[in-house]
Amino acid sequence: MKPLTEQDYYETLDVARSANPEDIERAYRLACDTYREDSIAGYPVFEVGDVELLRERIEIAYRILVDPETRRAYDLELSAQAFEAPVRAGAASAAGEEVSARPAAAVLAPLDAFDELEEAEGDWTGARLRRARLRQGIELDDITRITKVNPTYLAFIEDERFDGLPAAVYVRGFVTGYAGCLGLDAKRVAASYLQRYEERKGGSKRRLFARK
Amino acid sequence: MISGTREGPQSGAPRLIPFGGGKGGVGKTFVAANLATTLAKAGHRVVAVDGDLEGANLHTALGVTRPRNSVAEYAAEREEDVRKLLEETPIPNLRLIAATRPNLANPQPSHALRVRFVRALRTLDADFVFIDLGAGADSTVMDYFMVCDDGVVVIAPEPTSVENAYAFMRAAFYRRLKLSMISTDVRKVIALAMDERNERGIRTPLDLLREVKTLDTEEAHRFVEVMRAFRPRIIVNDVRSAEDIRLGFSVRSVCRKYFAIDAEYLGYVNHDAAARASVRARRPLVDSDPRSDAAVYLARIARKLIAPRVGACAGAAAGFAQRGEGEQSPTRGPV
Repeated sequence: MKPLTEQDYYETLDVARSANPEDIERAYRLACDTYREDSIAGYPVFEVGDVELLRERIEIAYRILVDPETRRAYDLELSAQAFEAPVRAGAASAAGEEVSARPAAAVLAPLDAFDELEEAEGDWTGARLRRARLRQGIELDDITRITKVNPTYLAFIEDERFDGLPAAVYVRGFVTGYAGCLGLDAKRVAASYLQRYEERKGGSKRRLFARK
Repeated sequence: MISGTREGPQSGAPRLIPFGGGKGGVGKTFVAANLATTLAKAGHRVVAVDGDLEGANLHTALGVTRPRNSVAEYAAEREEDVRKLLEETPIPNLRLIAATRPNLANPQPSHALRVRFVRALRTLDADFVFIDLGAGADSTVMDYFMVCDDGVVVIAPEPTSVENAYAFMRAAFYRRLKLSMISTDVRKVIALAMDERNERGIRTPLDLLREVKTLDTEEAHRFVEVMRAFRPRIIVNDVRSAEDIRLGFSVRSVCRKYFAIDAEYLGYVNHDAAARASVRARRPLVDSDPRSDAAVYLARIARKLIAPRVGACAGAAAGFAQRGEGEQSPTRGPV
């Protein structure tokens, strides 16, 4: 690891040299989040002046790396530097370099880093939908913005509070929209969820009927 | 690469995993108890040790109502054999060392006793030994956190918890450094740096490394090695939103940029009413309600927790053992 002022743009954003545009976008958003004034993660360590400097560097790094053309130019510059840089003597400084060369992929695992562990098949329950959503770092409000479905209904879908939900035909639409936002197979997800919905609803109706 | 996995289950000795985090009430005990149960149910032999003599409740979380024995007996030197402290729990493969009934006048074992205790834990016939730590970051807590380089830090998504977690990791890191250095001069500089308002303006480990380099290149080399090996692992408990989940990544970023500590984000546990219910029922959630949302998250974390480590343990071996009355440090080999 290097002092902030010596970090290159990739290190500033905590992304690998091979990062794709999405990685860079995600890393930038995380960095903005982390180093904004009222950040929970940052405020205990921020001191006057240094976080502004850091934010500035993050901004510049992002601007350069997000544009393919400036990024290519910068990469050329970096490789030229590496070529020119004299081989530094001293074990300690060499070892210091190694620290910064930590597996780049692990440096900023995306929010779906736990993906590989997720259950691959099975019913689409409300809890499973929520897990899929959180893994991608999407809030309910984000889904509302796109689907225009009331966030209360979305929360009911996740909590499987079927009594609070409207008729099946609407729920199917909601779940389809929800799943689409997450890039899931919307048709399959909706079918699986609706099956649970019908079973439960149907079940309670039958019980009601039986009591009479 | 530093040769790791010294304490892997295959090699006989158990792998010690401490659970700390600085602040109380963030769910250290809940997380430790449930991860221990998850592994035990998967067939691993697990021992859960309550390291919190002044606020013991791991036994309750695991459903052991009245433990017969306790670390307190060891602290008071009434019991010498750690194996006799072991207690069965309702979960097969999971045993407990409780910390009930401490002598309130003098609850903590001495440093020498703690060292001996940890050494005895390493000889237990088990695959994993979990140590649930108390709140705070003083030496009675830190000695247990120092048993490895990749102890677990549990955080709740609240400013107070995050603040304490930083203090905790920073304390752990400097302690590890100080214990790993040999030269008295270097140790002095580290002690100086541990005071956040030091006159030399040493704010981060990188500032400190610069100072150490001027004193002694060999020590500087060791310094870097310790820095590289130290990898606390973060769990964010009780998350309610994607923002809470991102907190783990943010904390990791701050650790890297401000403390030069390369923390790992192990995972998060979702807020779940079933979790609260399980605590009330005094049963680990993964046992009472394995299909609950939080239990699924815990299972994920358990799998990552025991995954083979990428080069670890050098610092741990050097740090704790050196002070530990000459326990052999196994990894001073080729680097």
